[in-house]
Amino acid sequence: MKLMRDVYIAGVGETKFGKHSVDYDVLGRAAALEAMRNSNINRPDVVQSAYVGNGMNGIVTGQTVFKDLGMCGRLPIINVESACSAGGMAVYSAIKDVATGVTDISLGVGCENHSLHMQSGTAFAPSMSDIETMHAAVMTGKYAMRANRYMHETGTTIEDLAAITVKNRRHATNNPNAWFKGAITIEEVVNSRMVAYPLTLQQCCGIADGAGAVVVCTKEMAAKLGVQKPVKVAGAVVQSGPYHNRPRDITGDDITETCAEQLYEESGIGPEDVNIVELHDAFTIAELLYYECLGLCKKGDGLKYLRDGDSTYGGKCVVSPRGGMLSYGHPIGASGAAQIAACVKQLRGECQGFQVDPIPRVAMTHVTGGGLSGTEHAACTMHMLVSAW
Amino acid sequence: MSDNKEAKKAPKPDITFFHPDLLIVPENGDPPYLQGYRCKSCGNLDFPKPTLCWNCWGEEFEIVPLSRTGVLYSVTDIFIGQAGMKTPYVFGYIDLPENLRVFAQMEGEPGSFKCDDKVELTIGPIRTNRDGLPITSYKFRKIAV
Repeated sequence: MKLMRDVYIAGVGETKFGKHSVDYDVLGRAAALEAMRNSNINRPDVVQSAYVGNGMNGIVTGQTVFKDLGMCGRLPIINVESACSAGGMAVYSAIKDVATGVTDISLGVGCENHSLHMQSGTAFAPSMSDIETMHAAVMTGKYAMRANRYMHETGTTIEDLAAITVKNRRHATNNPNAWFKGAITIEEVVNSRMVAYPLTLQQCCGIADGAGAVVVCTKEMAAKLGVQKPVKVAGAVVQSGPYHNRPRDITGDDITETCAEQLYEESGIGPEDVNIVELHDAFTIAELLYYECLGLCKKGDGLKYLRDGDSTYGGKCVVSPRGGMLSYGHPIGASGAAQIAACVKQLRGECQGFQVDPIPRVAMTHVTGGGLSGTEHAACTMHMLVSAW
Repeated sequence: MSDNKEAKKAPKPDITFFHPDLLIVPENGDPPYLQGYRCKSCGNLDFPKPTLCWNCWGEEFEIVPLSRTGVLYSVTDIFIGQAGMKTPYVFGYIDLPENLRVFAQMEGEPGSFKCDDKVELTIGPIRTNRDGLPITSYKFRKIAV
């Protein structure tokens, strides 16, 4: 979107990701409170609007998150759903309020609890009204088809794909909020249970619970709150997936390519200037494809980019420094907001044990959302964030 | 009176065929085929049937039988599937000569398909319905060499 005035991130919050015995609202509340306190907000009447992203947990999710914080009745709370893009879209909506002058300070939250609501041993599927779902499509399978085609065209192997998991779990080793972390070998990844060929269990994001939250505001409000390290929102883009039933190249991703192009143009920042990226690594193949779709490397060079160490600590652009979804798991409504929270902490140099060095100045986030026949994804949300101190 | 009430309460039987506007299985034993929808105003051909032509918003369509053979663009074997689906099962994207891509289940053993295989339309069960009966729809299988 065209940002009509400058917008800054004042503070962020996130919960640990993993299996939680408390529901989405408790998680969302914890992340929201942390984000507000991180923004030096200590009373209920400061935030002027709130957006809450959630995928599967029911109705009036946002009001449930905020009900006893003394905020309900003081501000509009709007609930946002676009499957895996919901949390990113909630933050986008908060930014839009500030950018357009509707508010001076707003809050975007993403929260989800899957483990209390989902049958174990089953895979995510889009709505049953979808013709592909009727024919037994599952998200793992749709990504597996991307992997098989990519392997067919480039000679990439399962071992190559497994290297993405190995990298991201290594990144997460010292991250207290990541779920799966530390050393894992290529063999362990490849030999884990087959989910959808060639994607084994350790190549798939875990079905997790968690939340993230982001407070955005004007420059004046950030100063008034005494925020020491405001992060400037250099760009924010939401796109809907182009629909057609023609053959398309699924080793690319039309919606991600369009969304990234728009983000680079609007922010005036190119892929070569981006220091860290949190992207939609729900499955190993996705991260590999997105190196190319985001323009971090040329089309067809994704595997070389990985092997050359360009996407890890010390490389050209650290991809998934928090460990990505392959380490956090993917509570679908939460991930988009949690990615932004994690990037802000990196930009502020607050990631002891996994801090990117030198401290990054430019971070980018990317979440797609939803399986929908005729599209690659139903939605895509991206943000560009820059240190402003 | 009470009979009427009970009749109202009894749920309608779920579908056992998917979907009469998309898949034609001739009664004379001729091979089954898919129906494409060609917009009468702009000529855009689509499958499945669109709400209206997404190219020009035309509302009238000519029904066109689609090719029964195509190329398997990509494929996967599913070992953890939808709730209630027996695993493993196989699905893929089939590209038809009419420049259309169809998502379908594959009839054949897991591990037996690869990208760019030539495949043909067949029919078979894709899932069970709410009443526990199989639902028949289009599927694809390898063309015997």
